Amino acid sequence: MRFRWSWLQTGIGPWPIENALMETTTFTSQLLQYLITGLTIGSIYSMVAIGFNIIYNVTEIINFAQGEFVMLGGLVMVTLHTVAGLNLLIAFPLAVGLVTLIGVLLDRLAIRPIRNPSVLTLIIATIAASILIKGAAMLIWGKNPHDLPAFSGRDPISFFGAVIQPQYLWVFGFLVLIVVILTLFFDKTIAGKAMSACADNPHAASLVGINVNRMILLSFILSAAIGATAGIIITPISLMEFDRGAMLAVKGFAAAILGGLGSFPGAVAGGLILGLIESLGAGLISSGYKDAFALLILLALLFFRPSGLLGNAQVSRIKRF
Amino acid sequence: MLLEINGLSTYYDNIAALKAVDIRVAKGQIVAIIGANGAGKSTLLKTISGLVRPRAGTIRLRDIDLCGLAPERIVAHGVTQVPEGRQIFAHLSVLDNLHLGAYLYHKRRHRSEIKTKIQTLYRMFPILQRRAQQIAGTLSGGEQQMLAIARALMGRPELLLLDEPSMGLAPLIVRDIFSVLRRLNADGTTILLVEQNARAALTIADYAYVLETGSVTLEGPAGELLDNPRVKASYLGG
Ligand SMILES: Nc1ncnc2c1ncn2[C@@H]1O[C@H](COP(=O)(O)OP(=O)(O)OP(=O)(O)O)[C@@H](O)[C@H]1O
Ligand SMILES: [Mg+2]
Repeated sequence: MRFRWSWLQTGIGPWPIENALMETTTFTSQLLQYLITGLTIGSIYSMVAIGFNIIYNVTEIINFAQGEFVMLGGLVMVTLHTVAGLNLLIAFPLAVGLVTLIGVLLDRLAIRPIRNPSVLTLIIATIAASILIKGAAMLIWGKNPHDLPAFSGRDPISFFGAVIQPQYLWVFGFLVLIVVILTLFFDKTIAGKAMSACADNPHAASLVGINVNRMILLSFILSAAIGATAGIIITPISLMEFDRGAMLAVKGFAAAILGGLGSFPGAVAGGLILGLIESLGAGLISSGYKDAFALLILLALLFFRPSGLLGNAQVSRIKRF
Repeated sequence: MLLEINGLSTYYDNIAALKAVDIRVAKGQIVAIIGANGAGKSTLLKTISGLVRPRAGTIRLRDIDLCGLAPERIVAHGVTQVPEGRQIFAHLSVLDNLHLGAYLYHKRRHRSEIKTKIQTLYRMFPILQRRAQQIAGTLSGGEQQMLAIARALMGRPELLLLDEPSMGLAPLIVRDIFSVLRRLNADGTTILLVEQNARAALTIADYAYVLETGSVTLEGPAGELLDNPRVKASYLGG
């Protein structure tokens, strides 16, 4: 039998009590399964949270279109790879590139034209853009979810009684890759340092000759590219449809808040923690509340600890890897 | 004339912060601007470096019109501001701050030149070498001021604009910083210096302007202003 490890089905469902009482090994392996799937979806939340932070650090904008980048990544990839039949190695960078172009347009058409912007106006502009993108996506790809072939097949690897889809490994791998690339970018390149400088003090940055507008554009490019990557690698696991962006944005935002807005290590940790909570909550409590966990956590944090679980106000201002 | 400002007026909304100001800075000079809090000194420097747009007037660097250029373009023309309150990149290391000062010519072929420049600045401010890896926000106020100046110098400015470099610093540190300014000037950097510490500023300046509520009310060779009774009464503590 061929498993369709759709995300919604994966390891999540009502737990048969009688089994739990009889076979503790099954329970442990089931728990392991929740952990693995939680970390997988958590990696995606981390990527969305990283995308939020990159733009937030340079502009203080919460880009609510961040989730649309993920959705677009998945669906553009569907068109290039499945419909047009382009090879994975060509379609992947091409899809990322196209979504990045949307990120450029978002900056050029929605953010930059606003004169005397307040952060709130800009955030509203990103919300408007996300509605527009979602509508366009519905016209192009319809309302049905689309699938992508997994990068290296769907033969599950068994691991202490749990199963790992090969695609999960791709997800983990890409999270590591993104973290490594961003760390090198911010630590080793002058462009990365210039971006940190803008985040730190835009006026002072322009006084050393940094073009702040160009750095804002670069932040949109990086965020869009990371979002698109997340969408491409998650679609073979969870499918993708036009209206997935908003929920992904909420989850990613919750992860970013959880880790302390602006902190990259926080984004990674926050995403993984959120994924785990969701997966364990859905598995052990009820899958019906899966999406509610993120919202509850978000609300609780905003009420009690707006600087994030991992940070105090001071730490959350340190905006670098 | 290296810098020539004519009829410069800058407004914040509808409040005039500068009213038809004329200022000249000859190449090789140190020119000081003194004035009370809120006189418009910082506004003047911000207008020159493009952070604030003037409503009227001209700013010419040699034969280049600086009015309306973006700050990063103005830096590229050799005018660098050390802003009020230092404004170093607080979350980056001292060394990163210095590298960013050379942002505009940060190409591989300039790498050795940048290294040499950093070494020169380390000789000027030895403390920065010892603190090279420290996060800049954790430096003391005086160290931050030195870093702010050093960062500006990394850009090889022809004209250095300084906004109250002595603010909040102990007299000994102020003396150090002013002696560095004098040395820089001797090496060919033209300096436009805004100061509340009028005595220190007038002592090293060639020429000076007094700014009061947005207008130049007095100007002259710095030595003459030091002896001017009005300046003495208002700015030199009698
Ligand atoms: N961003 C701004 N918006 C509105 N008004 C401003 C702004 N910046 C400065 N001002 C006003 O313009 C006037 C001149 O300010 P400026 O900072 O140039 O003074 P200053 O001479 O540098 O004073 P200080 O010695 O205290 O630094 C002040 O009345 C100030 O309140
Ligand atoms: Mg001032």
